[in-house]
Amino acid sequence: MELVKKYPKLFQWLFLLVVFFALCFAIDVPETYKFIRGQAEFIKDPNQSTYTLFGKEVRYYAFDNFWRLPPLLGWLPIWINDGLFFLLNEWMPMEFWDSATQEYKTRPLILQISRNITAFMTFLIEFIREILLGGVETIVAFTSWNFVSAYPWVKLPGLPWTIVAAGAAILAYKLSGKGLAIFAGLVMIYISVFGQWKPSMQTLSFILVAAPLSFIFGLSLGVMAYKSKRVEKALYPILLVMQTMPQYAVLVPAMVLFGIGDHAAVIITMVVAIPPMILLTLIGLRGVSPEVIEAGKMSGCSNWQLMTEVLIPTARRDILIGVNQVIMVCFSMAVISAFIGAKGLGWNLLLALNQLNIGLALEAGLCISFIAILLDKMSLAWANKQTDYFGNLTFYQRYKNTIFFGGAVVVGAILALVGSFFFKEGFNYLYEVPHNKGISTADFWNKGVDWIFDTFFVYIKAFNTWLITEVLQPMRALYLRMPAVATLVLVVGAGYIIGGIRSAFTVGALTLFIALSPWWDRALVTTYMATFGVIISCTIGFVVGTLCKQNKYTTNFMLGVCDIFQTFPSFVYLIPVMMLFGVTDTSVLIAVIVYATIPATRYTIEGLRSVPDGLHDAATMSGVTKLQRLFKIELPLAFPHMMLGVNQTIVFALFMVIIGAFIGTEDLGQYILKALSDKAGGGKGLTLGICVAFIGLIFDNLIRTWVEKRKKHLGID
Amino acid sequence: MIIHKYLNKIKLLPEPVRQIGGLVTLTVFIILSFAILNIYWGGGDELIRKMKIEEERIEKERKVNEVISSLPSGIVVFYDGTDHYKLSNKQYEAVCKITKLIPQRAIMAAHFLNYKAYELYTINGNKINDTFVKWDKDKNKCFAGYTVSGSNVGVNETVAVSGEVLSFLSTGIDTRVYFIKNF
Repeated sequence: MELVKKYPKLFQWLFLLVVFFALCFAIDVPETYKFIRGQAEFIKDPNQSTYTLFGKEVRYYAFDNFWRLPPLLGWLPIWINDGLFFLLNEWMPMEFWDSATQEYKTRPLILQISRNITAFMTFLIEFIREILLGGVETIVAFTSWNFVSAYPWVKLPGLPWTIVAAGAAILAYKLSGKGLAIFAGLVMIYISVFGQWKPSMQTLSFILVAAPLSFIFGLSLGVMAYKSKRVEKALYPILLVMQTMPQYAVLVPAMVLFGIGDHAAVIITMVVAIPPMILLTLIGLRGVSPEVIEAGKMSGCSNWQLMTEVLIPTARRDILIGVNQVIMVCFSMAVISAFIGAKGLGWNLLLALNQLNIGLALEAGLCISFIAILLDKMSLAWANKQTDYFGNLTFYQRYKNTIFFGGAVVVGAILALVGSFFFKEGFNYLYEVPHNKGISTADFWNKGVDWIFDTFFVYIKAFNTWLITEVLQPMRALYLRMPAVATLVLVVGAGYIIGGIRSAFTVGALTLFIALSPWWDRALVTTYMATFGVIISCTIGFVVGTLCKQNKYTTNFMLGVCDIFQTFPSFVYLIPVMMLFGVTDTSVLIAVIVYATIPATRYTIEGLRSVPDGLHDAATMSGVTKLQRLFKIELPLAFPHMMLGVNQTIVFALFMVIIGAFIGTEDLGQYILKALSDKAGGGKGLTLGICVAFIGLIFDNLIRTWVEKRKKHLGID
Repeated sequence: MIIHKYLNKIKLLPEPVRQIGGLVTLTVFIILSFAILNIYWGGGDELIRKMKIEEERIEKERKVNEVISSLPSGIVVFYDGTDHYKLSNKQYEAVCKITKLIPQRAIMAAHFLNYKAYELYTINGNKINDTFVKWDKDKNKCFAGYTVSGSNVGVNETVAVSGEVLSFLSTGIDTRVYFIKNF
């Protein structure tokens, strides 16, 4: 008893593990049980049992419940689908004026609203796209095709690439200085010279619609949540789930509501980008000190003035970091939304990956990454920039950037005009380098891939086989071998030991949702892949982070590398691994490891950095060696922060595993991908996405609770 | 009152003991919940038995398909002297075991030598009762047959016709008896 009192947690963990393994050994895999069987599939088998709930019949194989629970939530995807169908086709039919046919038409309200939103988004995208690339659709929207035929000069000409490049460089100079201006100029020249101008501008036009709209909605909802506890409480679960929801999963229901194309992509991007904006607005507004608010009130501010003149300007930095997050999410979605027909670099990347043309994929991927890095740096520079003080400045000093941009517009236009005379073959390279007329390194990279395969095929194959047969398959078998009851006992028990009864019930409810869905086996496969990635990523991240922290320069270098890698859209990581390992599970796992190592490394460095200098000095004065200081003082104190890194690593790994379905895995992601091409896939896609989000939330809850307790224990809260 | 007393006693226990007690209670609660759920939703052994039968059926079907796909479409025979595909001994046995159908053509041919059966067959609207195709282990031969029954001028009669199967018809989907030697 004394031992139990001395090491209570140890005994609790021991008890939990003993029960878990006892259950695993006691419950056999039922004979005839086939692993990874989606029980809600539309297979009619007389051996299946059925139940009907809310008018929906669900068929399933009634195995021993200790082994696998029946899919009592199997009705949910069907119900969501029917709900969507009802809303779109039957609910509240109303008369609407159809300007195309000049008559009233009866349409359900939701369908009409979705069509109106679609039309509005399409107009905005086309408008920006035509400013950048030229076109007539915008003019036609306000006039008619006859008008455009009669006056051909009204066509929007589009901006020459030289003007956009100069504009980007001038803006970067204004925000950060020479360094960023040179980088901006080089990026623009790169995308133009490599013939990626048109797709890049298509992507940019889509981001220029999605990002501002996400900012406006995110900011408004953030302010509302700050003002009203009810709104905050209502938004909290959505924000929580959206943090860990794979972006893929949102595609499917949105596709049902809004169809496919750029407009649907913008709406989906907004759905994904608004939550971080809300969160950062809320954090920013909460961070405003009461003294500032008090001062505002004392000055006689109305509520509106207090918000717009005091709170938002004070929280400016956090809000602008929100803008930065919005832009990053937009880029990440630019590729993913190519699955539902969004044009641009993402579409080209997807096509190239589909054709296994690694060279082309690399070119498109590099372009996306460069633009993402550029916009990331520009938005961060904007966030950190102090408001200019207009003292006794001359007109030129105040407006020099505008003047320079005006000059660039004139020079660019003249160059484009000269180019139209100079280049006789029909392509004006000073206006736009066409997609297939730029420099291409695709052949070089493709030959490189061939060379790698020819030279290292034996070793790659041997490594691949070893990894799959010796590591992955046994690990997968172990996960799939876990009976449902044992898994639930383990998760709930862990929740209880770490965070008490409340945490136990939370994680228990989340696990139960997945266990009662028809995709428990697939969820186990997803978890196994993510776990494998997280273990390796954390090992690498902890070691690299700890080693880099020993020196100021290596610390800054590694943080810079993490910054850059973090801006790459997740899809880009698949390109190099496909180059090396082809279309295999190994590729996905290596992409997971590379992607998930970033937060592990970053949080390790930041955790070690957060250890107070005073403790370093105290330790040195006590005569400890460098190693002793690291292991006895720094790492224990930094560990709670590093665990937050593990949390992020899990989310990153889950995202990448789901994206990995594109090159063939058999987890939840594969089903989400299938749902994309399924007529009734909306409900399935959403439910699967919630399952993935819940896996992330289970770990999130456990880790965050542990970190909070540990920080309190260490007195570093 | 007693419950209150026990609750107080639990509250007085040391924190570590209470925690481990809570964990044990939670574990037992989960396992019991599963046990209760199993009563209502679990199929258990019955399902496994049914699925085993199903698996056997699928396995048989797979074997049948394997045999069928190895045969050319058309008439397949067991003896020499024709242009038709000649079955090996193994194939002959396999085809015999998977064949279920005796089409009208084979029946009509057998009726050439069994007038009574022919008469009953035509009077009662070309109806036949039981059919069988079976492998005779002792003779290493395939036998097929059927019974025809019905009323013949007010008298209920039953005639059994059977004989050695000399050829089959392979359709690419299934196999059928093609010729019954009932003489």
